Amino acid sequence: MNGGKLQSNILNMWLYICGFLLLWEWLRPLKQLTDTANLTVFIIFLVISLVLAYFKVNIFVRNGIKLLYVLYTINLLYFEDSFFKLKWFFYVTDSVIENMRAVFQGSWVSLTDDFRSILFFILLGLMAYLLRYWLISRRQIFVFFFMTLLYITVLDTFTPYEAEFAIVRTIVIGFALMGILTFYRILDRENLQMPAAFARKWLIPLVGMVCVSIIIGYAAPKASPIWPDPVPYIKSYSQDNREDGNGSGGIRKVGYGMDDSTLGGPFMPDDTVVYETEADHRQYWKVETKDVYTGKGWVIAEENGEKIAFAQGEEFPISNYTDEEMTVDERTATIRPFLQYPHIIYPLGLKVVENDIGHSYEVDLSLEKISGADLGNLPGIGQYTVEYESPRFSIRGMMSTVDQNHPLLTEDFLARYTQLPDELPERVRDLALELTQDKENWYEKAKAIEDYFGRVDFQYDQKDVAVPGRNEDYVDQFLFETQKGYCDNFSTSMVVMLRSIGIPARWVKGYTEGDFRGMTDSGKRLYVITNNNAHSWVEVFFPEVGWVPFEPTKGFSNNAQFTFDLDSEQPGQQDDVLEAPEAPEVDKPEETDAPEQSAQTSFSWKDTFDKTTQFLRTNWLWFAAAIAVLTLTTYILYKTRLKWLPYFLIFRYRRRKNDEDFPEAYIALLTQLNRYGLKRNQEQTLREYARYVDHYFSSGEMSALTSTYEQYLYKGKLQEGSWENTKELWENLIKKTIA
Amino acid sequence: MTHEQLNPTIGRILENIEKVMIGKRNVAELSLVALLSGGHVLLEDVPGVGKTMMVRALAKSVNAKFRRIQFTPDLLPSDVTGVSIYNPKELEFQFRPGPIMGNIILADEINRTSPKTQSALLEGMEESSVTVDGITHRLEKPFFVMATQNPIEYEGTYPLPEAQLDRFLLKMKMGYPDVNEEMEVLSRAQRTMPIEELESVIDLNDLRELQENIKLVTVDDTIKRYIVDIVNGTRRNSSVYLGASPRGSIALMKAAQAYAYMYKRDYVLPDDVQFLASYVLAHRIILKSEAKFEGISAEDVLERVLARVPIPVQRLVK
Repeated sequence: MNGGKLQSNILNMWLYICGFLLLWEWLRPLKQLTDTANLTVFIIFLVISLVLAYFKVNIFVRNGIKLLYVLYTINLLYFEDSFFKLKWFFYVTDSVIENMRAVFQGSWVSLTDDFRSILFFILLGLMAYLLRYWLISRRQIFVFFFMTLLYITVLDTFTPYEAEFAIVRTIVIGFALMGILTFYRILDRENLQMPAAFARKWLIPLVGMVCVSIIIGYAAPKASPIWPDPVPYIKSYSQDNREDGNGSGGIRKVGYGMDDSTLGGPFMPDDTVVYETEADHRQYWKVETKDVYTGKGWVIAEENGEKIAFAQGEEFPISNYTDEEMTVDERTATIRPFLQYPHIIYPLGLKVVENDIGHSYEVDLSLEKISGADLGNLPGIGQYTVEYESPRFSIRGMMSTVDQNHPLLTEDFLARYTQLPDELPERVRDLALELTQDKENWYEKAKAIEDYFGRVDFQYDQKDVAVPGRNEDYVDQFLFETQKGYCDNFSTSMVVMLRSIGIPARWVKGYTEGDFRGMTDSGKRLYVITNNNAHSWVEVFFPEVGWVPFEPTKGFSNNAQFTFDLDSEQPGQQDDVLEAPEAPEVDKPEETDAPEQSAQTSFSWKDTFDKTTQFLRTNWLWFAAAIAVLTLTTYILYKTRLKWLPYFLIFRYRRRKNDEDFPEAYIALLTQLNRYGLKRNQEQTLREYARYVDHYFSSGEMSALTSTYEQYLYKGKLQEGSWENTKELWENLIKKTIA
Repeated sequence: MTHEQLNPTIGRILENIEKVMIGKRNVAELSLVALLSGGHVLLEDVPGVGKTMMVRALAKSVNAKFRRIQFTPDLLPSDVTGVSIYNPKELEFQFRPGPIMGNIILADEINRTSPKTQSALLEGMEESSVTVDGITHRLEKPFFVMATQNPIEYEGTYPLPEAQLDRFLLKMKMGYPDVNEEMEVLSRAQRTMPIEELESVIDLNDLRELQENIKLVTVDDTIKRYIVDIVNGTRRNSSVYLGASPRGSIALMKAAQAYAYMYKRDYVLPDDVQFLASYVLAHRIILKSEAKFEGISAEDVLERVLARVPIPVQRLVK
């Protein structure tokens, strides 16, 4: 008995500890969210209260200790006098009286800190008492647990308090508490004493369950809400004074647009097909680059800049690379435009553009935008083939640049590609500096900034994207306020941050590789590019290598290839940088359309939902028919069960040979007879029932069968051959129930 | 259950009894159940329905020493247990055994005597011994008491207290014979006193052996659970002031064992329990006065309890 008592005491102690932890979760956010300093003294008070409750200290002693502690703490916090001088004590009494007056007058602001602390102590004391009541007297904690969760999640949603771990902790503690309390309740209800082994048996699965639920919860995908997030709405409601920026009027559609002077605002998905490509590799398609950032978006430095014409089949006049010895992969790709754009899309390392019609092209040098020339009366650019050299950028080359000291980095060049508006808030640069402070070279700096956007704080979103107000900067708003956006936000921010620390960079527009549709006969991979694939990214200039693409947008991956031709100085980086070029693509073609969907769950949820509704809408008749047929079949089967169930039972038990099957068969017979309409009352003994059944069927089979079963049931013995000998009786009886 | 085959020995005893008792097969069976399981019987009935005949026939059949005590208001305990008498010749007290020193005792109209005298008998029933002048005399086994009492409503009775009622394994009523049976009684009475012709079927040793055998009858856990459920049911019933005690559970189980044995089975059925429950338990429960006013009897309560306790049809899962 002593063991049981000890066990129970230990369990009670665990209850108190868990209860304390749960209550602690209420106190933790206070430090961050309110001006409550010295939280520790309150936590100690809580511990004292619970320990006293656990040891069931006499109520006067208990309250005496608590009172002493409270007074001592008040003295320590608010009075300089020694605790034993007692003079301060009269101040406290005066202060309490003064404050009580204030309370009755309702002048809450004039309450002094010491009084508020005393009130808080009283509240904590009450909470400790309540905890004891819930845990020990009532053995129920769910309401408190639920309230704690609610409290934490609300704080997490509406305040800066980060409650991720608090939620996990609360769940663990709450589950453990409810498990132990349920154990207690069962013990009470069943009037059981508690042997130690019993508690252990209960605790093991409890711990298992808690662990499993935590692991599942941790591993499970965290879907963003399907409904629109109410938080920005609520927030904007309270700060309606923000001025609307220009161009925030309507929702834009995703797609390729020329005007990027005002970025921001939500996008509607648009799956109009723009291009179809046949390529042997997955890569981004470039349209143009932009280099002047205005604080609201991107503009072109010079309208109608210099253009160079080049014929089809002729070598493309400009190169983005300075590295003569760069390893390249020679590739070709065919592009079929579906919409009549004047420009073409082209891959990195373009060499030659060819078309069957024979028209030529021209390239805008500042934009690196290629348009069709001398089209004559052609409606637009038709199918064309590109030959290109897919580069493998040398990381060593990129890492060799540490400053702007390089003959290629002329003043004009730097002025153009490190241009920033004067109004750019200083904190953007500060952030860039902070991120790159311990990085030596440009490559590492660029990489550090690119990686920064991979943090959890940033969210890919097409709907809930802010437009900068009149006095706001697009990048600043994204980096420090919303942290929510799509490719334009990410890429522009990266370019601006790079420029702010003097690294030349530019903004590139184009398309991602599109959706993989299968392999063509010629062994190429067929992609369909829709307006949804419109994209923007970053190119950084490294004098030793040239313009190198970077991909800061969350959920997208850089398709450019890098060779790590360094000595293994920083082996840790290798994984980030090197891309396995071929293998995964052939095996997993479905990955090709993944980037946009995998990471942005909210978007893909919506997408899936839309697809499902679409599918249901077109096929609802089939579904309805299938459900109807299923229902009807079930109904008919149920209605005719008297006809077929006996056969099924006979089929099922005929093959059984063991005597152990007899009881099961007998029970099945009882159920079947009951179904047939020969109901047995619960107080009717099997023998009486058997007589009733036999009387009904005018036979003696049931009684014979029953007496064998009685021996099994009430004597605990199954005679050998019970089933073999009675099988026939059993079958006969079952057959008799066939309606 | 009547069509079940009887244990041959017991069948012969019953036949023997039926030679002198017309009808009343049930009473004879139940009396045998009590005798075989070492319990005692309380018969509640008006005089003259054949109680004495019944017991005497039973005693004769098992060749037991039969004693009869007629309880009257002036009967003293020593009239039951026996008394020590001074023998002047031997110069010492000599114990003269009372009528309780037999195997089968008919305690007639037990509720007409004082509680003091009643308790002398009841001590013997419970302890199988009597104490006279400080000397404890063991009673010979088997020791079987069949007590009769006038229905309580009759005047001039000392009702048995609850604790003492509990000592009877079974309580039953004899009832009047029906018309045919009574005519048969008359016909037989014309001839001789039939009891004199009765011969014994077994002797006391056989009886002791039977009693030992009965203890071997299997009571499965399912049945034990069923018994406990029934007894618990009497405790929870709203008409009941005090339900049956665990002694009642034990009594029900023992009676069921004897009954099963009587029908040639070495295991107890719920049917046995159901059949016996009312006889074993009815006198062990005390009804609330409200229930009595409403005319609810202990038997009614048991009927209700039995209807509410499901028969075990599957083995208990452990």
